[in-house]
Amino acid sequence: MLNKWLKQVLTPRTQAAGQKAGTPSQSLPVNKNLLVSMELLRSKLGRSPDFVMRGFTSSKGDSPYPVLAVCYVDGLVDHMQLTELIEAAARTAENSLQNGREPSGGEPDEGELDEGKPDGGESVAEQLARSLPSADLQKKATLDDVIASVLSGSVVFLADNTSYALSVSIPGGLRRSVEEPTSQSVIRGPKEGFTEELSTNMALIRRKLKTPDLRMEVRQIGTYTQTRVAVAYIQGIAQDSVVEEVRRRIDSINTDSILESNYIEEMIQDAPLSPFPTIMNTERPDAVAASLLDGQVAVLIDGTPFALLMPVTFFKFFQSSEDYYQRYDLATFLRVLRIMTFLVALLLPSLYIAITTFQQEILPMTMLITLAAQREGTPLPALLEAFIMELTFEVIREAGVRMPRIIGPAISIVGALVIGQAAVQAGLVSGTMVIVVSFTAIANFVIPSIDMAAAVRLMRFTLMILAGTLGLFGILAGMIPIIVHLVSLRSFGVDYYAPYAPFHKSNMKDMMIRVPIWAMKTRPDQIAGKNRTRQAPYQYPPVEETLLGSSSQGGQEEPS
Amino acid sequence: MSQQKIRASELVVSLILFEVGSTTLFLQGGGVKQNAWIAVLGAGAAGALVLLLHLAIHRRDPRLDLFLLFHRYMGPWVGTVFNLGFIAYFAYEMSRNLRDMGELTMLTLLPGTRIWITALITLLVVANTVRHDWRVSFLTGMALFPIMVASYLILILIIFLSGLIHYEFLLPVLENGVNMDMAKEVMKLVSFPFGETVVFLVFYPLIQQRRSVVRNIMISYFGIVLFLAFINQLSVMVLGPVLAANTTLPLLETVQLVQFPGVFERMDALFTLILFMGLGFKMVYFYSGAVIGLERVTGIGYRKWIIPLGALIFWAAFWSPNYTHHIWLGREIVLFTIWPVFQIVLPALLFTVMLLRRNKIKPH
Repeated sequence: MLNKWLKQVLTPRTQAAGQKAGTPSQSLPVNKNLLVSMELLRSKLGRSPDFVMRGFTSSKGDSPYPVLAVCYVDGLVDHMQLTELIEAAARTAENSLQNGREPSGGEPDEGELDEGKPDGGESVAEQLARSLPSADLQKKATLDDVIASVLSGSVVFLADNTSYALSVSIPGGLRRSVEEPTSQSVIRGPKEGFTEELSTNMALIRRKLKTPDLRMEVRQIGTYTQTRVAVAYIQGIAQDSVVEEVRRRIDSINTDSILESNYIEEMIQDAPLSPFPTIMNTERPDAVAASLLDGQVAVLIDGTPFALLMPVTFFKFFQSSEDYYQRYDLATFLRVLRIMTFLVALLLPSLYIAITTFQQEILPMTMLITLAAQREGTPLPALLEAFIMELTFEVIREAGVRMPRIIGPAISIVGALVIGQAAVQAGLVSGTMVIVVSFTAIANFVIPSIDMAAAVRLMRFTLMILAGTLGLFGILAGMIPIIVHLVSLRSFGVDYYAPYAPFHKSNMKDMMIRVPIWAMKTRPDQIAGKNRTRQAPYQYPPVEETLLGSSSQGGQEEPS
Repeated sequence: MSQQKIRASELVVSLILFEVGSTTLFLQGGGVKQNAWIAVLGAGAAGALVLLLHLAIHRRDPRLDLFLLFHRYMGPWVGTVFNLGFIAYFAYEMSRNLRDMGELTMLTLLPGTRIWITALITLLVVANTVRHDWRVSFLTGMALFPIMVASYLILILIIFLSGLIHYEFLLPVLENGVNMDMAKEVMKLVSFPFGETVVFLVFYPLIQQRRSVVRNIMISYFGIVLFLAFINQLSVMVLGPVLAANTTLPLLETVQLVQFPGVFERMDALFTLILFMGLGFKMVYFYSGAVIGLERVTGIGYRKWIIPLGALIFWAAFWSPNYTHHIWLGREIVLFTIWPVFQIVLPALLFTVMLLRRNKIKPH
């Protein structure tokens, strides 16, 4: 009889679900009859073996039917806490006066919500709520809510004669612990990186920013993955309009799955077809904290250690969080160096092609003779030669990323000896070309952001074709549209090429040049909101006069 | 058309790039030999008056651009005729620069490539810049301005360091006094490059903050005049007045003479790129002016006009059968006949009408 009733309830629902795949189906309330609820849950989850459900009977009555049930997904919850919770639940069930009742017994009274107090005392659910050792206790009214919380690492308690379920979130199971970030390592600075778990990542940021103004808004995206996505910003420092825009764009995502931050990035970025990234990603909590303090908005996604930062400008991609952990002069030098390597990675092969093919007169005579002598025996034109070598490098690189680690040395031998040295010795490729290609490759790795490095890799080939057909004129004809494109880009309302075009004088202190920390009085223009002042002015390290005096005196006194 | 505002500094930078643009390509005031700098300075002073006339027009009705002003103060019929004239003028200026660019490429970088290929590529690059919101062309100016400044500074520095300067080429000063030759050179210079700022009447209304704009524009204008007189005289001081006047591209010739054996032997190929950028900016502003005018006249969005007008400009760039004819037409004929009409006569007429009808038609 129970099964029949269940079938009646379930059949139209499964059909509806079949017609509209991907959209959440209409939700069923938690049934007052515990056995019905349990059976519904089991069948909705397809009787999956990792879905654990157990009923507790009361010892006071003689009924074989449970008064209380606990369910969770094995592997998603923390076992230590689970044991404590189950102990508490078992005690509650043991002590409850109420009998488990016949499942086919009296019709549930729809009007009354607080039923199930046969003795006038509190219900099992209330007793349980009182005795559960957890602060994070939530009531779930529908079965879909119950399933959602079970699937996101909660343990859920169902009580007989109660139209809601109690959910305690105890996410656990095997997760990666906080480790040093692999993609952005530093010599000096914090060594912790984000993990795949959102709550850990949120805590990592909280630990750095102990302010009530740090806001984190969590929402769930993806009909199947139900990925939790947190929008983090500092109230008052971030621009309200930008925060609102981030919210709007994230809320407009309608998809079945979010598996990595790039799913979100590609859905919300300003110029989806541009080779240049308009959203930055980082694995480092300190980088996120610094960005939040600049007025940026961070988006953290459950299941990936990469957080997104927006809005972002072009030159931000050439900065590393280590710039602030080492001396300002070195940091400035490194930033200039990075911009130069950006240009080298973008232009060196095309300049080489253009100069050796069209504008040889630029080179000094001795160099020209050396180059010409090298190229004398090579069978291919410079453009083709460079193209083949660049493609070869890209192949070796991709192989290096994908191959198992054990055969790594083999790849390096093949790459360096066979393709590099042997090709030159065989006279197929000129030695200079190998130098150009390798230096370009190394320069490409200096760019701190992988996204920006990828953009350079793609544009390099276009520029090489232009240089091979039209020389320096071709390079200029390729570079001008790139600059125009860069200038036209915007990231969440902020000009991408700022602070150079449009020019913002106060942002110059932290772009190409990194001034000493005490001189960074204000937050960046355009990005930060109303709260512009970062710290008090004139904090040039103060030295007490007395200290100066005593040290010089001490120096004089000692020898005498 | 979206009304994206630009900042005054961006406009000033663009004005500088525009004025320097292709001016350094040719020897200005070659007719008066070593006194070219006097001609440039004199023309700069006269050009300042022209610029002030343009700014006065702008100040009287700061919200309207050139085309809307003509339409408003001259009536729809007369205004449209004048507007079409201005569009044709801007387009022709653009086509002349396109031809210059093509010829320059053929003379310096790509002697073997057909001129129409380089001209077509240039046109595409410029059209791509115009295609974006016009704020982008001003921002591009901001982005490339440091490169231009640095290049010219390095150029001046190495010319001085290489010891090519002959100060005796400056003498004698004004050996014939102020005569007709000087007047002719000054007139030429007022039309090109100084009077060409008339195209900026299209862009002045875009400025966000109007405070002290006129002052900033005038200051930077005088800076440009001094710079142009200096860089122009540099060719004379290196090459000598006779050679400088008879060379097609005197500044490039000067750069060619600079040699640091073992490091740089021929820098002119690199410097050509800087000249290209200057020419490109000039083209962008004329092209923008023309397509914005077409939008104002016809009401059809300016982006739709880029390709048809581009085809027309491309065709017009090859009117002259050869470069000599092109130079003769540009530097001897139109400078005295057509250019002053659009740069001085029509703006003066507009300003007079604005003053006369100031009681009837209030500023927008």
